[in-house]
Amino acid sequence: MKQLRKFLMLPALLVSILVLSGCERPPIEAVQHGFRGTGMDLIYNPRILAEQAENNAVPVSYGAAPADGPKAGAVYKNVKVLNNLSVAQFGTFMASMTSWVAPEQGCTYCHNPANFADDSLYTKQVARNMILMTQRVNTQWQDHVAQTGVTCYTCHRGNNIPQQVWFKEPKQQNGNGLLGDKDGQNTPVAASGYSSLPNDYFAQYLSKSSNIRVAGNTALPTGNKHSIHETEATYALMMHFSKSLGVNCTYCHNSRNFSSWEESPPQRARAWYAIRMAQDINNNYMEPITGLFPEHRLGPTGDVAKANCGTCHQGAYKPLYGVSMLSDYPFLTGPAKPAMKAKDPAPAAKSVAMK
Amino acid sequence: MAMLSFERKYRVRGGTLVGGDLFDFWVGPFYVGFFGVTTVFFAFLGTALILWGASQGPTWNPWQINIAPPDISYGLGFAPLLKGGLWQLITVCALGAFFSWALREIEICRKLGMGLHVPFAYLMAVFAYFTLVIIRPVLMGAWGHGFPYGILSHLDWVSNTGYQYLHFHYNPAHMIAVTLFFTTTFALVLHGGLVLSSTNPQKGQFVKTPEHEDTFFRDAIGYSIGTLGIHRLGLFLALAAVFWSAVCIVISGPFWTRGWPEWWGWWLNLPIWR
Amino acid sequence: MEYQNLFTQVQVVAPPHHGVSIDPYDERERFGEPKLYHLFGRLGNAQLGPIYLGRLGLASLFFGIIAIQIMGWNMLASVNWSPIQFVRQLFWLSLDPPLPKHGLSLFMPLNEGGWWMMAGFFLTVSILLWWARMYRRAIALGMGTHIAWGFLAAIWLYLVLGFIRPIMMGSWSEAVPFGVFSHLDWTAAFSLRYGNLFYNPFHMLSIVFLYGSALLFAMHGATILAVSRFGGEREIEQIVDRGTASERAALFWRWTMGFNATMESIHRWAWWFAVLTPLVGGIGILLTGTVVDNWYLWAVKHNVAPSYPYVFGTPLPDPASSGFIPPAPPISIGVKP
Repeated sequence: MKQLRKFLMLPALLVSILVLSGCERPPIEAVQHGFRGTGMDLIYNPRILAEQAENNAVPVSYGAAPADGPKAGAVYKNVKVLNNLSVAQFGTFMASMTSWVAPEQGCTYCHNPANFADDSLYTKQVARNMILMTQRVNTQWQDHVAQTGVTCYTCHRGNNIPQQVWFKEPKQQNGNGLLGDKDGQNTPVAASGYSSLPNDYFAQYLSKSSNIRVAGNTALPTGNKHSIHETEATYALMMHFSKSLGVNCTYCHNSRNFSSWEESPPQRARAWYAIRMAQDINNNYMEPITGLFPEHRLGPTGDVAKANCGTCHQGAYKPLYGVSMLSDYPFLTGPAKPAMKAKDPAPAAKSVAMK
Repeated sequence: MAMLSFERKYRVRGGTLVGGDLFDFWVGPFYVGFFGVTTVFFAFLGTALILWGASQGPTWNPWQINIAPPDISYGLGFAPLLKGGLWQLITVCALGAFFSWALREIEICRKLGMGLHVPFAYLMAVFAYFTLVIIRPVLMGAWGHGFPYGILSHLDWVSNTGYQYLHFHYNPAHMIAVTLFFTTTFALVLHGGLVLSSTNPQKGQFVKTPEHEDTFFRDAIGYSIGTLGIHRLGLFLALAAVFWSAVCIVISGPFWTRGWPEWWGWWLNLPIWR
Repeated sequence: MEYQNLFTQVQVVAPPHHGVSIDPYDERERFGEPKLYHLFGRLGNAQLGPIYLGRLGLASLFFGIIAIQIMGWNMLASVNWSPIQFVRQLFWLSLDPPLPKHGLSLFMPLNEGGWWMMAGFFLTVSILLWWARMYRRAIALGMGTHIAWGFLAAIWLYLVLGFIRPIMMGSWSEAVPFGVFSHLDWTAAFSLRYGNLFYNPFHMLSIVFLYGSALLFAMHGATILAVSRFGGEREIEQIVDRGTASERAALFWRWTMGFNATMESIHRWAWWFAVLTPLVGGIGILLTGTVVDNWYLWAVKHNVAPSYPYVFGTPLPDPASSGFIPPAPPISIGVKP
C-alpha cells in the first residue's frame, strides 16, 4: 500500500503542477462598473497589463507639421487624396506612415524608387484607399471613435498587416460528407474564445448585418422565433468583443437583463455603432480592393483581410488606451459631428423603474 | 414537555465546551448551552440589522430587499453604515451565529456520545460562506467583492460574477463541483429508495434484509457499497461538492482574470500535440 | 485523535455472497464469480459481482453502445479521423441537434442532425430499458419499487430537454447537443435566449432541492457515521426495532433544530428532495419558451425583481430607435483594382 501511494505521488504532483501552471496569482486590480454588490466589475491582472503596455504605447510625437506653403497636389505628381496638405505635412505624413506600416522596408514598400509618383506597387494603391478609410472613420463614425479617432498606427502598430484581421474560413475538412460536420462550431480557437461556440461568425455580423438580438422583450411569447442556434452565434460574437477589448460582459451589460438599454452601461451604445462601422469598413473599403492584393495576402478562400474589433483594440478597452494621435494629423479627420439627440427625454437617473 | 418518549434518559449534564452547568439546559426541544445563547444573540442582532436596512431601502417586498456590500473603493476598510457598513456588520453577525451553531452542535454530540461528523460537515458549508465573504474579498483587496444579502439580488451577483469570466461553465473546479452535486442527488435517491424499498416491500411480503439491498445493487450494477459505505460515500460526495464550489469561486479573480474557456489553453498547447 | 470510522481498518473476510435467491431462471442470469477486493473494502463492501445480465439489461446495453458509437464516430470524423486531435479536442467535440430550418421533420441530412436524431433515439430506448430493468429487479426480490420511480424523475427531465419541449417549440434544434462543452454552451445560450433563467421560479425551486439534497446527504451521512458506534448503519433493523443509535440521532437533531426525523422518515425526506430536483426542474424547462419568453420580464411583472440605482448618469437610449442614419457608401475616386 505504501508502495502504491509512493507510486501515485509523483504523477499526482506532475499533474497538479501542470494544471496550476495554467493559473495566475494575486494581487489583482478590480474596477467597479455598476452599483455596489451587483458584481459588475472589471478584473485585471497587473502583470498581464504590464506585458501589454508596450503594444499600446503611442509613438513619440514630433508635433504637427506647418500647414502653410505650396500644396502637395501642386508640387508632386499623381497625388489623388492628399492634395490639400502642405509639402511639410505631406512629407512628415509619408515618414510617419512608413514607421507605422513598413518600418523595415522603408519608402520602397509602396514606392518605386526610380519614380515615386508611379502606382506600380499594389501597396501604394492600397495605402491610398486606407487613407480614405481613415478619414471616413474619423469623420463619419465619431459616434464610435469620438474625437480620439484613429491613424494607420491604430491598426498596423508597425506591421505591414495588422496583427488581428479575419478571413472567411474554408469548408471544413472532415471524414466524408456523411459524418462529422462541425457546422462552424466545436473547435477551440481564438474566434470562439476557446469554447465550443460558433467560430465563423464574422462574415454574418461584420460584413452582412445579421440580427444580433435574440431575447424577447415581452414576458409572455409574442412571436419571438430566434433559436438557441442563433443565440450561440450572438454569444460567440460577444466573446470576441470581450477578448478584443480586454473586458468582460459586465463592461456593457447587466447580465440579469442583457437586452435592457436602461440597465446597460453607456459603453454598449458605443459598441452598437462599432458594429456598423466595421461593416462599413469591410464592405466599402476592404472588399472593393480585393483585386489589388497578391495571393499571399489573401485568405484561404481568396478573400481580402477584413477588420473586426481586435484589429483596432488589440486587447485594450480603447485602442492605445484612448490617447489621440490626431492633433498631429488634422487632415485625417474633420469637424466634430453634433451628438445624436435622444427622441424621448431620458428616464430619471435615480433608480431603474421596474414597471 | 416536548420530549420524545425515550428522551428523558438522555438528558444528562455534561459535554459542554464553555460555561459548565450555567447554560446546560433545554428550552422546549432546543438545547441551549453557552453557544445557544451566542447563536441567538448574533442571529437576533443580524436579523434586526437586516430589517433596519430594509426599512432604509425602497421596499419591504421580501424578494426585492437588498443589503449591498460597500463600493470596491473602500478596499478592506470600514464603510459608512448606509453605504455598505451595514452589510459588513451583518456579515460579522452571520459568522458569529454560524460558528456558534457549530460549537453548539459539538456540545450536543459530546453530550450524546456521538462522533463529531455532523458539526464537521456543517463547518464545510460555513467554510464556503467564509470563502465567499472573507477569503476571496481579502485576496482581491476589497470587501465590496462579497455577495449582497437579498433573495433576487444575490442571484444578480452570481450572474454578473459568472459573466466576469465570460463563460463560467468552463471553470474546471465548477465542472467538478456541479458533477458532485448531481452525483450526490443521484446517490441520495438511490439510498433513500433502497432503504424504503426494503422496509416497504411488495404487498404481502416481509420487511427485507441488508442482503436483499446488496443483492439488488449487485444484480443491477454488479456492486453494492453496503450500509456503512453508502453513508461514507454520501457524506464525501456532499462535502466534496461544497469544497469544490468554494474552490471554483476563490480561484475566479485571485487566480484567474480572463475568460474561463481560455484557461484550457494549457491542455490545448501541450507540446505533444500543439 | 479518535477513530472516525471513515475507512475500515480491519476487514472481515468471508466467502462472497451469491445473492438472495430469486426464481431459478433469473438466478441463471447472474453472471461472474464474485471476488473480494481489499481496496473496495476500505470504503464499503469488498465484493465485486455477480451482475444480473437479463434481457432488459443486455438490450439496454446494446442500444446504449450504438448511441455512443454514433456520437463517437461522428466526433472522430469531425477532426478528420485524427486520434490525436480526438483526444486533444475531446471536450469541445459534439454531435449537434438538427438545424433550425428542419423544424420537427423526422428525416434530415445525416450531417444536419440526422445522426443526432438516431443517437437520441437509441439512447432514449436504452434508458427506458434500463428503467424497466431497475423495476424488474426490485419486484424479483419482493422489494418496493422506490428506486425505479426516483429514476423516472430523472428520465422526466431528460425527456423534457430532448423530446417534449422541442416538440412543443416546433423544432428539434432546441434540444441539447451531445458533447461536454457544447451542452454547457447550450445551457448558457438557453438562459440568454429566455431572459435569465435565475428568474424562473421553478429553476429556483429546483436549485433549492439540489442544494437541499447535498445538505440532506451530508446531514444523514454524517449522522449515521456519528452513531455507527451504536450500529446506526443497520438502518432496516433500527427502523423496525429502534435502538440507541436511532434515538441519539433523532435527539441530536431535535436538540439542535427543534424537530427531527425517524430512521425511516429521513429516507423519505431524502427520496423526495432528490426526486423533486429534476421533477421541478423539468417543469421549469418545459414552461420556458412555451408559456414564458423572458423570465426576467416575467419577474418584473410579478413584482419580484429588485431595482438598482443607475450609476452612469443618464442611461443611453437604444441607438436602433434613435434616428441614426448610416453614412452613404463612399463615392469612388477611381481607386479600382
